[in-house]
Amino acid sequence: MNPLTTKYSVLALLATSLASALVVAAEKNPERNAYFGETHLHTSWSVDAWIFGNRITGPADAYKYARGETIKHPMGFDIRIDTPLDFMGVTDHSEYVGVTKQANTPGSYVSTLPAAQPLIIKDPNSQADTNRVFSYLLKLAGSAPVAALVDPKVTSTVWKENVKLADEANEPGKFTAFCAYEWTSMPNQRNLHRNVFFRDCAKVPDYPFSALDSKAPTELWKWMDTQRKSGNEVLAISHNANVSDGWMYPTDVDQTTGRPIDAAWAESRMRNERLIEIKQGKGQSETHPLLSPNDEFANYEMYQTILGLPADVGRIDRIHGSFARQALKDGIAMQDQRGYNPYRFGMAGGSDSHNSASAYRHDNFFGMHGETDGTVERRFAGFLIGGTMDVRLENPGGLTGVWAEENTRSSIWDGMYRKETFGVSGPRMKVRLFGGWTYDKDILDASDWVKKSYAAGVPMGADLPSMPTGGKGTAPAFVVWAVKDPSSGNLDRIQIIKGWTQNGQSFEKVYDVAWSGDRKPDKWSGKVPAIRSTVDMEEATYTNDVGATELKTVWTDPEFDASQHAFYYARVLEIPTPRWTLIQAVQSGLAPPNTVPLTGQERAWSSPIWYTPSAEARKQAPAGMTVAALQTKGAKALDEAQLKELIVGKAFWMRNNVTGDQFSQNFTTEGNAILFRVGANANMPSAFGNVDRDGYQGTNYTYRIEGNELVIPVAQEPYSYRFYQQGDSYYAARSNEFGYANYEIIPAPQVATNPLTAVSNLFSIELGLTQAQKQQIVPMLEQELKQLSAVGKDARLSGEQKLEALRKMGVSFEAKVSPLLNEAQQQKFQAVREHLRERLLEAAGEKALKAAELKAMALFPDVHN
Amino acid sequence: MSSPNPAQPAQLRQIPVMALSRWLREPLLHFLLLGAALFAAWNYFEPDLAPGAAATEIRLTPDDVLAMWTFFNSQWQRAPTAEEFGRMVENKVQEEVLYREAVAMGLDKDDTIVKRRMAQKLQFLAEDVAAAYEPGDAELEDWYAANADKFALPGRISFRQLYFSPDERGRQAYADAQAALATLTDQSVDTELAASFGDSFMLQNYYADRTPEQVAKEFGPVFAQAVFGAATGSWQGPVESGFGWHLVFVDSFVPGRQPAYAEVAPEVKTAWLAQQKVEAWRKAYDAMRAKYTVVLPVLPDSVDGLPAAPVASGDDQASQ
Repeated sequence: MNPLTTKYSVLALLATSLASALVVAAEKNPERNAYFGETHLHTSWSVDAWIFGNRITGPADAYKYARGETIKHPMGFDIRIDTPLDFMGVTDHSEYVGVTKQANTPGSYVSTLPAAQPLIIKDPNSQADTNRVFSYLLKLAGSAPVAALVDPKVTSTVWKENVKLADEANEPGKFTAFCAYEWTSMPNQRNLHRNVFFRDCAKVPDYPFSALDSKAPTELWKWMDTQRKSGNEVLAISHNANVSDGWMYPTDVDQTTGRPIDAAWAESRMRNERLIEIKQGKGQSETHPLLSPNDEFANYEMYQTILGLPADVGRIDRIHGSFARQALKDGIAMQDQRGYNPYRFGMAGGSDSHNSASAYRHDNFFGMHGETDGTVERRFAGFLIGGTMDVRLENPGGLTGVWAEENTRSSIWDGMYRKETFGVSGPRMKVRLFGGWTYDKDILDASDWVKKSYAAGVPMGADLPSMPTGGKGTAPAFVVWAVKDPSSGNLDRIQIIKGWTQNGQSFEKVYDVAWSGDRKPDKWSGKVPAIRSTVDMEEATYTNDVGATELKTVWTDPEFDASQHAFYYARVLEIPTPRWTLIQAVQSGLAPPNTVPLTGQERAWSSPIWYTPSAEARKQAPAGMTVAALQTKGAKALDEAQLKELIVGKAFWMRNNVTGDQFSQNFTTEGNAILFRVGANANMPSAFGNVDRDGYQGTNYTYRIEGNELVIPVAQEPYSYRFYQQGDSYYAARSNEFGYANYEIIPAPQVATNPLTAVSNLFSIELGLTQAQKQQIVPMLEQELKQLSAVGKDARLSGEQKLEALRKMGVSFEAKVSPLLNEAQQQKFQAVREHLRERLLEAAGEKALKAAELKAMALFPDVHN
Repeated sequence: MSSPNPAQPAQLRQIPVMALSRWLREPLLHFLLLGAALFAAWNYFEPDLAPGAAATEIRLTPDDVLAMWTFFNSQWQRAPTAEEFGRMVENKVQEEVLYREAVAMGLDKDDTIVKRRMAQKLQFLAEDVAAAYEPGDAELEDWYAANADKFALPGRISFRQLYFSPDERGRQAYADAQAALATLTDQSVDTELAASFGDSFMLQNYYADRTPEQVAKEFGPVFAQAVFGAATGSWQGPVESGFGWHLVFVDSFVPGRQPAYAEVAPEVKTAWLAQQKVEAWRKAYDAMRAKYTVVLPVLPDSVDGLPAAPVASGDDQASQ
């Protein structure tokens, strides 16, 4: 069957009836269904949407669109969703006040007011009468207000109208329309927006709490607490952390108020902000390549900018504090060190479209902001909305998936509240994640695996139950399952993203846990290779010849440490598919923008599951070295002069005493620094940047010494170190590690080479061996060195016997090699031997001397003759 | 305005560039103007701060104070403290001061944001008028008769399905489904044989009473169309979905129908009202538009990317 030829008839078949009340509703499912909905949408009722040119469609149209009806794009063409949604909250807000309806409702309070009499329509069929009332309204609007009509008893806000429209669109069992609005706080262009969702429209307040009331999130939470206390359940979803300029996830001070972050702040946040929007039309807020250098899928739908920044103001959107994964890591570190975690949130997705509608699919993308991005020419031209919003970077927006018993306000809201949610980038793949201690490896084979998984563990968004007592050696197991969207690409893989913390440092690792096809994980990195792309760049199409329809597994954390706080969330990747920029380039014949990728892998993010060690288990963690402990032991903090002496124009090796990883640090006299000799598999703590890449590429940072601090900024964040001297040892404490002095200056580490490879290479190169000589000598050399190694390992031989055996080997080696060399080579051979001997002796410290001498003697017996 | 003379050679009229226009693009100004616009909108039902008073006098009435107090109370379920109340008053004063200063400087003139906000208000007002009228049953019934197609109920289907997974069978999935179909063709519907075919998956074996939309959400639109077109009472297929291949056995198919007005009266009223709003706005705009004559420039052919001539209508004219 050709999907293209049947598309129109399918649409006709799926035409939505306005009489949907008569369509049979599904039953309650105790094992919960995945419902997909929009939690972030603007209509012409939002002032900014109106400014963007959306003057046609309001909330009622948005609900129609969500349910599958055709509506108008702000530019006048028809738009229609591919697959209708299960729920939606229109998140406008506005301050419009209207009383005409009340004036015309017989018996209402307003209808009795003398001031309202001119508003009453006597003959609805008379255009003249309607015009008269309309004119009077205009007159009212343009002149001094009538006191009687501004009485709060009378005023009916757009908010109330919004609530009414939600009530009209809401049909329990079939479609849920939430009462919701957006709190639009933007201090100094930093996006701190939250969408606020009410559980029950019957209890919503007369006025929503707007950013005009306060720009401080703490004030919003206070207001939400008040609402909750009066029986009005409410939750908030923060969004676009990626454009918050680092203010969405602070760890020390709430920048909006200057208040230090404490337990009360954290609890208030978690009572109210249950979810975050991990992806929307203006990019993803999961993570950034600089924060997750080992995550090859991190560079996805990036949207880094400061919204509405004047063109002549030099500011750059901060990376640190702007992404969810880092916040989850900071959160567990705060929990471990300070006893509270403000960042235990679940995942959601939305579009943030201002068109009363979004496509959610790249093959149907029609922009997000009315006229400003309503045509392919405008989208490709890189029009900058408000001076900074580059339309080329936009995408069709994401959706929120909620596991709930039925499609009703209470059931879906409760699912959101308990964070049994996931965000999708657009296509509606479903993902389940359960965590527990006793899951069988084959639980997924059972037809009732969902029931069993609920019974023996917790779903996404929850905390792992306590580890069973006596659970030494046990690790949590996760049941993870994903199925594709039947109208989108197949699945590439499921990953588990783990974060953990120790001694004030936090870490992350991405595990591939289930994948399609017979790909083998890379032997050294453990990563599953990229899936073959089926995207036809000429036609902007793809096929489902690769990938899977369903992926599932039971995954046990292979590196579990019961003493460490940790979190786990699942990320599901689709196979590569064309991005809208490629699709519309092919359709229009225009060159696609070169600022964005032409393909991408759609994805889903589950809410995390958290592990908290018991007090007993926590005691097993290494104590680590704190600054306080160092000072108790008499360590002295280096002052500015001592610090300059230690740092400027110097280089040294440091060890991270938490992980044991070592790295070299170089500081030029000109203020440049490099962190060097870190491999891709090193466990770097949070916020070091991409040290593996930058070190080996020679990409340097700048550093400066400010008082007694060494400041080495990563991106714009001025991370700093304080140094402490105790005896001959130097320790350093990094500013984001909660008072630990985790770093120690160490002597340059000894690099142990494999003598076999090293020596054979050296001989080949230094002696300029011909191909023929190489063929003879190299195997000889290798043979000798193998024997050498065998002797070294032979436990039957005493030390003296070993020495004797080695000496004999050396003599015999020289006897065999010499006849094969010409005169010049023989001289070089002697020189190389001498040089090797010296280097080995030099390189080896006092402790290693004896071992080195043994090696040297083996190769060069004449030295010891 | 010059008189229309399309016969004259086309020429773009020089539009004077005001020094002010650069300033009007300043974001700070836009911000101030947005505030002013919001105030202007708010002002409609907000207290009269200075009726007939001096331009430098800001006077709050008892109604103003009461409104602020009530507003706070509804937000916080308690009365404001003296300090909080003082802050509210000062905020209001600040807003008024800035608004008046901005208006005095003429910042409300020629600003797109202000213009659009005013225009939006007009639309709200026009729609509000439409919403005020309460229709009778007879009127709604007539309207329903004319718009019946919007309320047609979709058909419903009950079917069994067997799934042949490409994950399990690769390219063999289709052939396996075909082979299974051949075996099942002469069997009774409740044969246990059927259960021996197909792969386990998250899908159910049996779906009762589903609309096309529900089937499409579960299986994809193409499958929904195929199933709704399949014969009842026998195994059919293989049918492709977004997941792979299926055999389907349609037990029953209830065709779509037209509900009686009484069944859907509330929905009809909602839809009627929505249409009234659209109509009210269109009429209001048409009436306003009719009062205006628009003079459009005639553009030279040589300017790249411009249409040959702007579209004018009715009494509109073109100028050189």
